[in-house]
Amino acid sequence: MIETTIPRGTPLPRIRPWLGIAAAASFVVASAMALFWAPTDAVQGDVYRILYVHVPLAWLAYLAFVVVFLASVAWLWTKRPFFDAVAVASAEIGVLFTGLFLVAGSIWAKPTWGVWWTWEPRLVTTAIMFVMYVGYLLLRGLSTDFSRRATRAAVFGIVAVIDVPIVHLSVLWANSLHQLPTVLRIAGSPALDTPMLVTLMASLGAYTLVYAYFMSARVSLELARQGRLWTRT
Amino acid sequence: MIDRIALVAARELRAERRQPDGVVAAVTFIAVLVLLESLVVGPQIARDADVASALFWLALAFATILATMRSFDRELEDDALEGLVALPGGRDALFGGKVLSLAVVLVLVAAIGGLLSLVLLDLAVALPLHLLVVVLLGVVALPPIVVVDVVLALRLRARAALVPILALPVLVPQLVAATRGTSAALTGDALGALSWAGLLFAFAVVYTVVGLTIVPAAIE
Repeated sequence: MIETTIPRGTPLPRIRPWLGIAAAASFVVASAMALFWAPTDAVQGDVYRILYVHVPLAWLAYLAFVVVFLASVAWLWTKRPFFDAVAVASAEIGVLFTGLFLVAGSIWAKPTWGVWWTWEPRLVTTAIMFVMYVGYLLLRGLSTDFSRRATRAAVFGIVAVIDVPIVHLSVLWANSLHQLPTVLRIAGSPALDTPMLVTLMASLGAYTLVYAYFMSARVSLELARQGRLWTRT
Repeated sequence: MIDRIALVAARELRAERRQPDGVVAAVTFIAVLVLLESLVVGPQIARDADVASALFWLALAFATILATMRSFDRELEDDALEGLVALPGGRDALFGGKVLSLAVVLVLVAAIGGLLSLVLLDLAVALPLHLLVVVLLGVVALPPIVVVDVVLALRLRARAALVPILALPVLVPQLVAATRGTSAALTGDALGALSWAGLLFAFAVVYTVVGLTIVPAAIE
């Protein structure tokens, strides 16, 4: 039997309602800024406003899978079930955000490129990242023993995260149709108007709070599940 | 460590020689795919360097999965895995030995499958030496990931479906590099072939190191 190391007196349940309120409020503010305050783009018109959804979703997709990687390393290192709970929570939320990221990108691509989907390196690699983490969840679902499931998933989580930088760099490596980075550029300052940049940062903050809220709820649920598992064993 | 890896690899190759069902299944699989390709898309499209290269590497990726699963099935049938893992350094040696022996087996499979493709599709090779380098490095780049995924799916139900789902997305960079490199060698682009070969070498090194570092933890 595995020794349970679920943190006692975890602050998650206490901060979660406040986190939820902060996430909802910042989401409303960021959405209002994106729709009404940010100026219309000179080239793309109002279509570009989906950027305030698309970019934060991309950020969260990457963030979620990096968290999976870190939690997987921590599980293999310490064997504390808390880290496995973090890994599965982040993977599920990452799959959700990557799916929404692909859908938002597709909605933006139709009026901009004239197609819903194109075999552009970053799109394809993001879709592959999505499939990879669906495989991660499938691997978890097919394993029954807790310790083996956590270890197998952790190993796959570490291997799979190698794909994440390839996704980001593919736009630089390949002669790509996708727009080049406008904020994190190798040379020069962000190629965005100040109100646009402020709105984008507000959106990034709001979506990150939403991710943090989802994480706190899902990790609590997973810890409760693990608690029931230990009670049974 | 290298001695133990060589020992496991030699044991694997001996088992494969006595019971070569993994190699036979892999070669037959590639031959069937090459024949089907010509029938399905027509000989003109099938002879295109990009199409022929892509199909060859996709077939080889599936053949790698088949050969690796067969190799681990043999261990499970004989209850040999537990004994091997119990030895000092057995887990590292198991991973390293499997990767090494599979690379040797795949060289054979790739040679037969490649010759079949060249003959059946009547392909002209502009740069034979470059093609040889790309194929050798491509073959070395495939097994580390596949061995990792077969180990992760060991003794799970629906393993036959799970392994390709886990392995193929991670193999995409290797498959793209191998396909582009092969196509470049077929069409006479020496610089392109060598660049992609270099990338394949990098992938082989990275995934072998990652595998040796974390796979022992996954072998129970």
